[in-house]
Amino acid sequence: MAVEKVYTKPKCLLPLSSGFCPGCLHSLATKLIAEAIDDLGVAEKVINVLPVGCATMNSLYWKLDMVTSAHGRAPAVATGIKRCRPDALVFAYQGDGDLASIGLSEVLMAANRGEHITIFFANNSTYGMTGGQMAPTTLVGQKSTTCIYGRDPDTMGYPLRMCELIKELEAPVYVARFSLNNPANIRKAKAGIKKAMQNQVEGLGFSFVELLTNCPTNWHMSPVKTLEFMEEHTMKYFPCGVFVDKTAKEGE
Amino acid sequence: MKFTLIISGSGGQGVMSIGMSLAGSAVEGGMHATFMPLYGPEQRGGSAKCTVIVSDSEIVSPLPKQSDGLIVMNETSFKKFTPELKPGGVLVRNINRTTSALKRTDIEVVDVPADDLAHELGSDKIANIILIGAMLGYSGMLDPAVFMASLEHKFAAKGAEVVELNRKALDKGLELGRAAKKA
Amino acid sequence: MAKEFMKGNEAIGEAAVRGGVRFFAGYPITPQSELPEYLSWRLPEVGGCFVQGESEVASINMVYGAAATGVRAMTGSSSPGISLKSEGISYLSAAELPAVIVNMQRGGPGLGSIQPAQQDYLQATKAAGHGGFRMLVFAPYTVQEAVDIVYDAPEYAERDRSPVMILMDGCLGTMMEEVELPPMKELPESPCKPWTVGYDGTKRGGHLITPIYPEAGLEGKNKLAVQRTKRWEENDVRVEEFMVDDAEWVIVAYGMSARVAKQVVLDLREVGFKIGLIRPITLFPFPKKSIANLDYTKVKGLIDIEMSIPALMREDIELQVLGRAPVYEYGRSGGILLDDESTKAAVRKIIEGGEQ
Repeated sequence: MAVEKVYTKPKCLLPLSSGFCPGCLHSLATKLIAEAIDDLGVAEKVINVLPVGCATMNSLYWKLDMVTSAHGRAPAVATGIKRCRPDALVFAYQGDGDLASIGLSEVLMAANRGEHITIFFANNSTYGMTGGQMAPTTLVGQKSTTCIYGRDPDTMGYPLRMCELIKELEAPVYVARFSLNNPANIRKAKAGIKKAMQNQVEGLGFSFVELLTNCPTNWHMSPVKTLEFMEEHTMKYFPCGVFVDKTAKEGE
Repeated sequence: MKFTLIISGSGGQGVMSIGMSLAGSAVEGGMHATFMPLYGPEQRGGSAKCTVIVSDSEIVSPLPKQSDGLIVMNETSFKKFTPELKPGGVLVRNINRTTSALKRTDIEVVDVPADDLAHELGSDKIANIILIGAMLGYSGMLDPAVFMASLEHKFAAKGAEVVELNRKALDKGLELGRAAKKA
Repeated sequence: MAKEFMKGNEAIGEAAVRGGVRFFAGYPITPQSELPEYLSWRLPEVGGCFVQGESEVASINMVYGAAATGVRAMTGSSSPGISLKSEGISYLSAAELPAVIVNMQRGGPGLGSIQPAQQDYLQATKAAGHGGFRMLVFAPYTVQEAVDIVYDAPEYAERDRSPVMILMDGCLGTMMEEVELPPMKELPESPCKPWTVGYDGTKRGGHLITPIYPEAGLEGKNKLAVQRTKRWEENDVRVEEFMVDDAEWVIVAYGMSARVAKQVVLDLREVGFKIGLIRPITLFPFPKKSIANLDYTKVKGLIDIEMSIPALMREDIELQVLGRAPVYEYGRSGGILLDDESTKAAVRKIIEGGEQ
């Protein structure tokens, strides 16, 4: 009896094993994006802008045209690329230190200009690659190497909710947050990722998809524990949902 | 022949626009010219100065300190730039806006009530044209017809009336400059 | 061809368009704002793209992205803005991306002044960003020369896959003089090149442009950059030597200062001084030979004239003179301009009094 092949590695993911830490959801997000690109059949049209942080390592995994940018500058680099190659599908996948701290201006301004690009934002509440320092998204009370007693809002402020900031702008066409903590949420995330890329295929405007992820290494937890932590804490402060969706309106 | 002219006044008096027109017309007329502006940080009301050089040979430096001619449109620039005029140089001053006495005796002076004359001719905006006219009339630094041609070009879109007004202003200035030269 | 009377900033904008630049991102700063203003309407006329970046930093990174597609890209700024762009300039060099960068210098350091100066020589020629990279630095002295250099700059940038800097000053940006504009260059239909990203109709994705390398790869890149610098020194040095043959005194000056210096040379020649001018047109590579090969049995001294206090080129001059003659300097700074008469007097004083 022939066995039907129901699952395979995405074509635009190179046949290598991931170098992300065990249990890290970056590898899942990387795969989901690759799957969405495969599903849309647009790999050769894609130009990816790599950020600085753990996600820079995606240069080793994705089989796409890619440009590595400076820390936080991916939306500006993507702007330059998309303006020169309007036929390309330009996306960046940025972490929270990159996007919400050093690159806050670049992402907000690209969103405000309504650049026809897609930004995926991996929010794991920490600076992973540099070793677990406080991120703009670190939760109140959550410990990091630069707030060893936990984030104190009196002096460190509160975690930045990027979707809620970006949804206030006029131009973005799609702003949504998903969590990668369980299979049901992962399915929703996959649909959202695909939609954010599809929007570009259709020539719509700026799409922003935030993905809540984890960091077992710097949270000092087992991978399973991180998923519980996400459910109990992260997802309470960063509620999932679609904040803006102007695509249906424009598509009608 | 090379003639260096400094035009100075306050922002909004048309110092820069008249300097550009003058230098530009010289180039159109086959001469060499440079226009070097010096702005204050203000968009309006600050000091404004430009140096225009018109020459029949290539201009090496656009940054002479001393000039052959000086147009001052207000008191501040009168005080500030009169010392930089070469001995024997020609000063055209708007006496409606300069109050203090002239101390130098080694320069030629053409006093022009430019604001009053502009008003009489029907527009406060053309005081700068009258002053340039006086400078051209006195110094002969550039053929006035060449300058008028560029004004015609510049104001063509605004209609024949505006061109005519500028022609009258230029003629008035030329008349005063030439009269002062003869005197 | 007919001569036009143009402002420096606008003339180089037009020269860039005619030289094939099709992307510009920039941020307003005096005294170069007329450059983005001009290109904001001019580039769309030729199918190009202008973006007013939200910052100097974003602008240089937009240029980085544009350059990665093979489109000829450019940005401009003035001194404080160039400091902000230095991150991006270093990344352009690392990622081997071509770009044209114009600096209309103003007084410094810090916010300095908005008036013209030449106080960024060291930044431009030694370290325009971190990491020890070099780039071609051109220093035109007339609007015409600026036009000609900007027109050719994208080709140098593409040849070397490196940023190129045009180091000017606020005088050249805001002054007007006559220029003859070169013809519009023909561009290929597609910007794609073997090193660019973006589908070119044949290749499947998988090309990476990056400013980060494994250590051994990076050292290899560093070594190749040294070879390239040597090639620049052999092939790309540009210099004007004016009345130097019999000179006992040699002024070294670039950009606007060189125009004042040339006038001083002409004036002092008339009254019998044997004086000449060496004018570096490329500041990097520096025209070492012009200075090293002077006849030091005749030369009594060199005078570095800049709109900068201290004179920043002096160390490069002294490295070639090697003590064979005294080196003097004269300059104005902070946005106060040199002028012909004061400069002539200062040079005369140096010659007659040996004042250092």
